Amino acid sequence: MITEEKLKILTDSAKYDVSCSSSGSGRKNTGGMGNGYVAGCCHSFTPDGRCISLLKIVLSNDCIYDCKYCPNRLSADVPRATATPEEICELTIDFYKRNYIEGLFLSSAVHKNPDYTMERLLLVVKKLRTEYRFHGYIHLKGIPRADERLMQEAARYADRMSYNVELPSEKSLKLLAPQKSKESLLTPMQKLAVQSAAFKEEKRKGLIKGHFLPAGQTTQMIVGASPEPDGQILRLTQALYRKNGLKRVYYSSYVPVVRDALLPETSGGQLREHRLYQADWLLRFYGFSVEEIVNEGENLSMEFDPKCAWALRNMHLFPVEINRAPLEVLLRVPGIGAKNAYKIIEARKYTKLSFEDLVKMRVALKRAKHFITCNGKFFGAKSENAVRGLLVAAETQESAEQLDLFGMLSTPQNALIALTGQL
Amino acid sequence: MIYFFDGTKNGFLCALTEAFHDDAAVLVTSQVQLALGESPVLVSTDDEKAKKAENRLLSFDKDCMYDLDTLFRSGMENHLQIAFDYFRLLAKMKKPIGKRLAEPAVFAAVECMKKVGHEIHKMHGFIRFMETESGALYAPFAPDNDICDRLVPHFRARLPEFPFVIHDTARKKAAVYDGKNTFVAPLDGAQVLLSANEAEWQSLWKRYYQSVTIPARTSKERNKQMKGYMPVRYWKFLTEKQENPTNFDEIT
Ligand code: SF4
Repeated sequence: MITEEKLKILTDSAKYDVSCSSSGSGRKNTGGMGNGYVAGCCHSFTPDGRCISLLKIVLSNDCIYDCKYCPNRLSADVPRATATPEEICELTIDFYKRNYIEGLFLSSAVHKNPDYTMERLLLVVKKLRTEYRFHGYIHLKGIPRADERLMQEAARYADRMSYNVELPSEKSLKLLAPQKSKESLLTPMQKLAVQSAAFKEEKRKGLIKGHFLPAGQTTQMIVGASPEPDGQILRLTQALYRKNGLKRVYYSSYVPVVRDALLPETSGGQLREHRLYQADWLLRFYGFSVEEIVNEGENLSMEFDPKCAWALRNMHLFPVEINRAPLEVLLRVPGIGAKNAYKIIEARKYTKLSFEDLVKMRVALKRAKHFITCNGKFFGAKSENAVRGLLVAAETQESAEQLDLFGMLSTPQNALIALTGQL
Repeated sequence: MIYFFDGTKNGFLCALTEAFHDDAAVLVTSQVQLALGESPVLVSTDDEKAKKAENRLLSFDKDCMYDLDTLFRSGMENHLQIAFDYFRLLAKMKKPIGKRLAEPAVFAAVECMKKVGHEIHKMHGFIRFMETESGALYAPFAPDNDICDRLVPHFRARLPEFPFVIHDTARKKAAVYDGKNTFVAPLDGAQVLLSANEAEWQSLWKRYYQSVTIPARTSKERNKQMKGYMPVRYWKFLTEKQENPTNFDEIT
C-alpha cells in the first residue's frame, strides 16, 4: 500500500490539472471491476467547489524539465517521490471498489527522459486493464516528445488522453516552458486524432476490436500567466475543436505558487476563467463562432456574460417571439439555456405560451424578458439603456448561480454533467 | 373530500377511481385533523379494481406505472397528492401528458420525479462502500427518497464480483446483492466487521481529499457551492467528511 506521505506529494502535484471529467466512456464490464458511465459521475466536492471524479495523481514529480510556472520544475527545492506501477494500480482498484472515484487521471513529470516516463505510464494502464481487469475510466496525460508508438499503444487502453497546450502562444511557451514547443504538444494531438479516426473506420468494418480513446482528447491552458488576450485564446480553442476534434478545452486560472520575475504576482482571477468557460459553451453548444463573441486582440466583457454581451451588440435581432422562434434562435436569448429552450419547444406544441406560463415552468426570465415577446406582448424594459442597467443588476445578483445558468446543455449526457457540476 | 387509503399502490389506484370526479379531492394515508362536519371517505383496497385502473392508465401512457413508482418513492411531504393530481389528469386527457409543462399538475409531478432521479444520480457518486471481513461491501446512507433498490443495477453492473449491501438507515431497509440475486429486506442495526485494511484505505482517501483542495481557490462562495452540490445532510456517510474512521454505533 502506498504511504500517506507519498500519496500527498504525488497528488499535490496533480491537482492543478483542472479536468476531472469522467464522461464519454461507455466501456462495459466484461468480468473484473468497473465500467464507464457515459454521463460521468461526481463522487465528492472539495471546499473550493470542484467535483472529484477521478483519482488525480502523478507517477512521479521528479522532473528533468524546468517550466517556470511549475512547482515541480527541476530547479525547485521540493520533496520528490515516484510511485511504482503496482502502487498506482492498487490505489485505483481499492478507491474504485469503495466508490470513492470513477477512475484514474494519471500523469507524470518528465522523469529521467520522455520515453522512460511514457513507458511507465503505459505499463500502469496496461496492467490495470489486463492484470487487474479494470474497466473504469482512465485519463492519461501524454508526455511530449515521447516515442509515438508508446502513445499509440497507450491510446488502446486509456479512455481519454490529453496533451496540455499549457500556454496559448509559442512565444509564451519559449519564455516559460523552454523545453516544450507548440509543435511538441500539437503534433501528438493531431496524430491521435488521425489514428482514432482510422481505428473507428476499421472497427466499423469489423477488422479490429477494442477501444481507442473512446472519450477522445482534451487539453488545458493556463490563463493569466502570459499576456494573450481572450480573443486570441478562444481562437486557439475554436481551432482545437474544429481541426483536432478535441472534446474539451480547459482553462486554468494561473495560481502563483512559484515566484519568478517572468511571472505575474497575482492570480489570473476566477471571473476571467469563468467568462472563458461561458464563451467556450457558446462555441460548443450554442452555435456561436468565436468571431461573433470577441475580437482577436480583446478580452471578454467582465460586466456581462458573453451571450448577453453579444445580444447587446445585436439588439436589432430582438425581441424574438417565444412561440415561433426556432431552437437556434431561442438558444441565443440571454438567460435561456439549452434545457429551457427545449422545455419551451416541447410545451408550445400544446398551447400558446404566455409570460405566466413561462413563469410557471420556471424559465429564468430576469434577463430573457428583455429579449422576447410572448404572444406578441413584450415585458422587458423600454430603452436599451434601461436593459443594460437591469442586466448588470441581474448579473451581480446571480453571480453565485452563474455556473448553473450556462450549465444547460444540448444533450442529455451533457445536461447530466452540468447537473452534477463537473467542469 | 378527504380520502384515506392504505398507502399501497393498489390502494392509490382504487382511491383514484373513487375520487375521479371530485376536483377538491385530498389524499391522505394517516390520521389528520378534520374540520367540523367533514367526513372522510375510507377507500378500501380491491386488487381487482386496482388492476383495472392500472390497465386503463397504461393504455393512455405505457410508461406511467414507472412514474407512479417513482412518485411513491419521493420524500416530499405531498408526493401522493402530486401523484394523484397527475394521474387524474392523465385519466382525463387519455394520452401521455408528461411534456405539458404549462399544466401545474404535470409540472409538479415532473419536478417531483426529477428530485428522485437527481438523488439516484447523486448517490451513484456519494455511496461509500466499506470492505467487510468477508470481502462483501457495505454502504449505509439516509437518502431523502426511498431509493436503495434503484441503486443496485448501477453497482451491480460495475462490481459484479462483489456482494454488497446498500443500507437505508432512515427507512431501516436494505438492498442486497449476494453475487447473483438482488433483494430488498428490512434491516435495523447492522453488525459489520471491517476488513483489516479498511481503516487505512479510508485514511488514504481522506488524505487525498485534503490534498486536492486548492486553498487559494477556497472561498465562502465556493464553499457554498460545495454544499449545494453535496448537501451537508449527506456528509454523515461520506468518509472524507468524517473526523475519525467510521464508527458504527453512530450510524446504526
Ligand atoms: S514538464 Fe514542466 S510542467 Fe511538467 S512537471 Fe516538469 S516542470 Fe512541471
